[in-house]
Order: sequence, then structure tokens, then C-alpha cells
Amino acid sequence: MNPYILAILLFGLGLGTTITFASSHWLLAWMGLEMNTLAIIPLMAQHHHPRAVEATTKYFLTQAAAAATLLFASITNAWLTGQWEIQQITHPLPTTMITLALALKIGLAPLHAWLPEVLQGLDLTTGLILSTWQKLAPFALILQIQPSNSTTLIILGLASTLIGGWGGLNQTQLRKILAYSSIAHLGWMILILQFSPSITLLTLLTYLIMTSSTFLVFKLNKATIINTLATSWAKAPALTALTPLILLSLGGLPPLTGFMPKWLILQELTKQGLAPTATLAALSALLSLYFYLRLSYTMTLTISPNSLLGTTPWRLPSTQLTYPLAISTAMTLCLLPLTPAISALLIP
Amino acid sequence: MLKILLPTIMLVPTIWAVPAKYLWSTTLSYSLIISLISLTWLKSSAESGWSFLNPYMATDPLSTPLLALTCWLLPLMILASQNHTAPEPISRQRTYITLLTSLQIFLIMAFSATEVIMFYIMFEATLIPTLVIITRWGNQTERLNAGTYFLFYTLAGSLPLLVALLLLQNNTGTLSLLTLQYTPSMQLSSFADKLWWAGCLLAFLVKMPLYGAHLWLPKAHVEAPIAGSMVLAAVLLKLGGYGMMRMMIMLEPLTKELSYPFIIFALWGVIMTGSICLRQTDLKSLIAYSSVSHMGLVAAGILIQTSWGFTGALILMIAHGLTSSALFCLANTNYERTHSRTMILARGLQMVLPLMTAWWFIASLANLALPPLPNLMGELMIITSLFHWSWWTIALTGGGTLITAGYSLYMFLMTQRGPLPAHIISLDPTHSREHLLMALHLLPLILLISKPELIWGWTA
Repeated sequence: MNPYILAILLFGLGLGTTITFASSHWLLAWMGLEMNTLAIIPLMAQHHHPRAVEATTKYFLTQAAAAATLLFASITNAWLTGQWEIQQITHPLPTTMITLALALKIGLAPLHAWLPEVLQGLDLTTGLILSTWQKLAPFALILQIQPSNSTTLIILGLASTLIGGWGGLNQTQLRKILAYSSIAHLGWMILILQFSPSITLLTLLTYLIMTSSTFLVFKLNKATIINTLATSWAKAPALTALTPLILLSLGGLPPLTGFMPKWLILQELTKQGLAPTATLAALSALLSLYFYLRLSYTMTLTISPNSLLGTTPWRLPSTQLTYPLAISTAMTLCLLPLTPAISALLIP
Repeated sequence: MLKILLPTIMLVPTIWAVPAKYLWSTTLSYSLIISLISLTWLKSSAESGWSFLNPYMATDPLSTPLLALTCWLLPLMILASQNHTAPEPISRQRTYITLLTSLQIFLIMAFSATEVIMFYIMFEATLIPTLVIITRWGNQTERLNAGTYFLFYTLAGSLPLLVALLLLQNNTGTLSLLTLQYTPSMQLSSFADKLWWAGCLLAFLVKMPLYGAHLWLPKAHVEAPIAGSMVLAAVLLKLGGYGMMRMMIMLEPLTKELSYPFIIFALWGVIMTGSICLRQTDLKSLIAYSSVSHMGLVAAGILIQTSWGFTGALILMIAHGLTSSALFCLANTNYERTHSRTMILARGLQMVLPLMTAWWFIASLANLALPPLPNLMGELMIITSLFHWSWWTIALTGGGTLITAGYSLYMFLMTQRGPLPAHIISLDPTHSREHLLMALHLLPLILLISKPELIWGWTA
């Protein structure tokens, strides 16, 4: 893509999220969200592949619907309470509408159906942006509105973890697997929202790091299906040895970083007297773990019998920037001992 | 404490930095030195209290035998793996030993943890290296299934444990083992409390394993390479027993009634798995089911909450750890020569490998709990305390002892006695390494006859 166009689009993405972060007026927040949507549309469709265009269309329709609902909800709130402050939403009707609109924006179950197909149509870089950057702005709003209808939130959360787990079980396309993983993680984030928004933020940040790690590994291997991962041992042996740890961190196994949000969420849920919810959420994480384990098996723990023709790939230098992958992998694996420090930082 | 933990952690860079020629001898000697220093833990400064105390880690007479066993096992695992990893590239050998060492680090931290959440995290952390050892270095396609069963059975039990521990922390305000014994006992009576009780114990029962939840064990033990089988049988099962013993303090008074079905499962499991052993054709599978059988006795001993029960359980755990690991090493010597685990393919070995027969004999005798070995000590104390708890258990435990003797002798006679098949008259003679390995397993077991105080636990 023309570097100037790319620069404008990325600038638009950054600006949109920043506007939403900095806004206290609903219209400005909506404007930031729409800017994000519009900026990413050309990035999604850049390859002009029919599937990419289909993904772009689906993304546009769902995000536009969500943004319109958001606008409607904020207008309703303005009608009912006479003000446009983001943090002053108290009336239950606009709160619920905003919660559902933002759920559609990020892909929470039962409003998740668009996410696997959209992510499937994108190349891995744009998919990375969709899974990480595009979640920041809606979450900035979610964290501020402090929804209080606990039934809705717990249902959204549990449904997402369960659907994210079960949906990913039958997939062989890596992007769809990551989409369902995203849905499951978002479920965990929403589960704790009403009790401790700071833990939601912590979960979001750790999820961003772990997902970036995974996407970058797949990018390095140019892998879009599970079978491609089977030859990564020849391309980057050390990374192939580390990737199961990244995937198990996504699955939430101690002593890796992915355990930290789950631990803190379960702790807060039990303090609030929701032990059965906590147990159900914890067990639903086992579903996602199954397909992460399957990826580890294919990639590292078995060796495919075929040998590669030509120069052994690991001798050829990779054209990808390895800095982000190195940093995100280190953070994905080693942050658990810093839990007290991180929770002191984020949780008041 | 750190004088064991830091050298073990530093063993990992050593593995990667040492020249290839010296890899195995270096790691063996360093791990032996570490295990010798770990024996200092056995002399506890306070009779029933905590020794070697620092804010996060401590030892007490319950954990020191298990810690010594863990540290002792690393050199044995290294010794056992040297041959079968020899054809692999050197970096894979280094990775293998790194996995064994990291397992050792997590196990030391688990057994010496004073905070129950730290124990939990290390308990779970041991899953990852074990999973990689089983699925990457196992020899048959079934190893993937074995790894999945292992991971998911254990996790399905331990995630409710996490929730239960967090609930306990809300209740008592602390999860430090140092102070938990002094907290006032909770009034546990509601249905939710019973669920909490189950949540606390389920993880450990699955890990031990209890008979109903034992399906992961034959798969994992059989498919694992020798070091994996050794560490699984000798130490990882004991994590379950240790966890149960630590948690029992908090679970009163519900345990009196709620433990009934689990005791029954455990004792029935002794009989059932023993009977399965009598009909096994796969040697490693026989030893794996024998592990389930012995650990069923341990589980029953812990669940009845008497001091003899606990002591017997601890002694049996240590003795079984050494014995089971020794049996797996013996089975591995067969496997390395014939590349098959089928028992009838490697019969009558006394003709070909007479010195190994001596080790097979001692290990089989230890397995069937011959006096005066500590296996008998542990089993007898558990059986006696179970008899005191209920007379009817003698039927199950006595029958179990009989069946254990039966299948241990069956294993010995099948592999060592009888006619030698024509296809194995030219097996490799026994390596000195294998003799050393067996000696290092069985000599501590025999020496423990003379000082069982080391593994008695609190009833000193």
C-alpha cells in the first residue's frame, strides 16, 4: 500500500482511539469510534480478495450498527437526564443499550457471530490490529460507565467464555481460533466489570500482550492454518520451543502471565459471593485450553515427517521486526511474579 | 533453603553452557551434590514445628522426606535418560535435562511452600514440564492422548481447588500454613460448605489418583519416557498426598461423614487395580496400575485422619516412590533392549541378565511389601488404623495385600523365570549405569529400615 495512505490510515486509527480516550462527551466518544471504524476499513480491504471485502463489509455493518445504537442511547440519556457526560450515565435504559452496543463492538457473546468471519478474512497484521487496538476504545467507555445490572453482565461474561471455548474446538483456521480465544477472554473481562473495573483493565492489558505475541508468532511463520505450524521447527527452532508456553499462557496456566488475570478475577468473584460463577468460568477455560494444546501439539510436541527442500529456512534471516515479538513473549511468560506490583499499580 | 534452590536454578544455565562431551557427567554430579546437601533438611531443628523458616518457604517433618526424595530423584532421572536420548541432537538433550531440572525447581518450591496459593501455583506449574516430557519425548502416538488426559484430569480437579482456596482466604484472612493451624475452626454445616470440602480435596484425589479418577495415570505413565515415568510415579503422585495432608486440618468437622465414599473408592480401587495388574500384558501398564493400588491405600490412610494413618501414608509414599521408580527403571532396561513393553516378549531374563534379576527380585519384594522394608511399615500402619476405623476394611486391605503379592510375583516370574525365548538370547549385557541406577534406588530403601524416624513425619 502507498506509504502515505498507510500513514493516514494508521494516524486515523490512533486519532480515533485517542479521541475516545480523551472525551467526556458522548458525541465525541462516538466520533472517535466511528473514526476507528472508517480508518480500518481500507486496511481490511487492501488485498481486494473477495473474502477480505466480505469481511470488511460485515465489520462495517456491525460496527456501524453498534455505533448507531450507542448514539441513540446517548441521545436517550440526554433526553432523560439532560446531560451528555460519559460518567454520569445512571438511568438503566441507556446503560443497558450502551452495554449491548459496546458488546457488539468488541464481540461479546451473544453478539459475537461477526468476529470469527471478519478475522478470517484479514491478513495477520490487520487481524492483530483488530484484536488489540480496536478493543481499546470501546473498553475505555465500558470502564467508565460502570454498568450495574449484574445479571446482564454475568450472562454476557459466562456466555462468552463458554461460546469462546466451544466455538474454537472445531476450527483449523488459526485466525478463527484466535477470534474465539478473543471472545473467551472478553468474557472474563466483562465478568469482573461490575466489581472491579481495574481488574478488567488488567485482564485487557495482559490479553493484548498475549494475543500480540501469538499473532506475531503466526506472522513469522506465515501460518494461517494449523498444518502450516507443523513446519515452523525448521524456520525458527527456538521460537517453536517457546510457542507452547505462549499458548498455555493464553490458556491461563500458572506459572505463566496468563494466570494472573484469572487468579485475580476468581479472587474478586469469591469475595463477592459468586463462587459457583467463579467455578463455572474457571472450568470453561478448559475448553479453550484444549485447542491451544492442540496447536502446541502440532507445532512443537510432534515433528512432521516431511523435510523441507531447498535452503533450511532458519538460515535465511527473517524480514519481520523481531523486537515486538521478543518483548511481548518475554512479558507473556514472565510477569506472574510481579502480580503484587501490578495489582498495586492498577487496583486501588 | 536457598542453598538447594539456587544451585538447582543455576543448573539450567550450566546445562546450556557446558561442552557437549561433559553434559551428562556434569549434570549428574551437580544434581548428586544438590541431593546430598538436601539430606541436611532431614534433621529438623524443632520436633513438630517448622524449620529452615523464611517468609515464603519452610520445611517440617512432613515435607522433608518428600523434598529429599525429589532432590534424590533428579540424578536418578539423568542417569536413566542418558542412553535413550543419546541419538538426539545435543540441544534436544539439553532441553530434556532443562525440563527435568525445571520440574525439580517447581517441586522444591511446592513442597516447601508456606502459603497455600504458592503451593497451588507450583502444583500447577509442574504440569507444564511433565506435559512436554510426555508428549515430546514419549515413543508412541498414544502419547498425545496421554498428555491431554493428564492435563485435563488434573486441571478439572485443581480449578475448583483454586476457588476453594480463595474462599478459605476470605474466611480466615490468611492462607499461610504457619498460622492456619491456629485459626478457630469454621462452623461448616451447609450444603455449600460440603461443596467447598469437595473442592478442596478433589484436586489431590485426582492427582493421587483415587480409583474413579485414575484413568490419566496408566496413559501418562506408560507413554512417558523413563524420566517422565520416574518423576510421575515417585513425586508427582505424592504432591496429591502432601496436599491432602496439609488441607485436612482445615476441613474438620465435615470429614467424618463426607470422606466415606472416598475411602470406599480408594479401598475398592486397591482391589480393582490389583486385579487388573494380574491380567496385564504390558509391563509399564502393570507398574502404573500398581501405583494406583498403593496410592489408594495412601488416600484411605489420609482420609481417616488418625496419626498412624498419616504416618503410614507418609512412609508408604516415600517407599512407594523409590520402589515404583525402581520398577520403571527395570522396565526401561527391558524396553531399551527389545523396544517393546509386552511382557511375554522378554521372558526368562535370568538366563541372559542374571545380575539384573537380583534387582528385579529386590524391587518386586519391595513392591509386595516384604518386611522389614519401609513399604511394609507404611502398609501395616495404614491397614491397622483402617481396621481400627472399621473392622470391615480388613477384607479389602487384606485382599489387596494378597493380590499385590500375586501380581508382584507374577511380574517377577514372568520377566525373569521360565524358558528364554530364542529371539532374545543376544541382548546387550547390563550397563554399569543401569546397575548404579538400581542401586541408588534400592539402597536408600534398604537403609531406611534402620532409621525410619526420617520418614515418620510428626509422630517422632
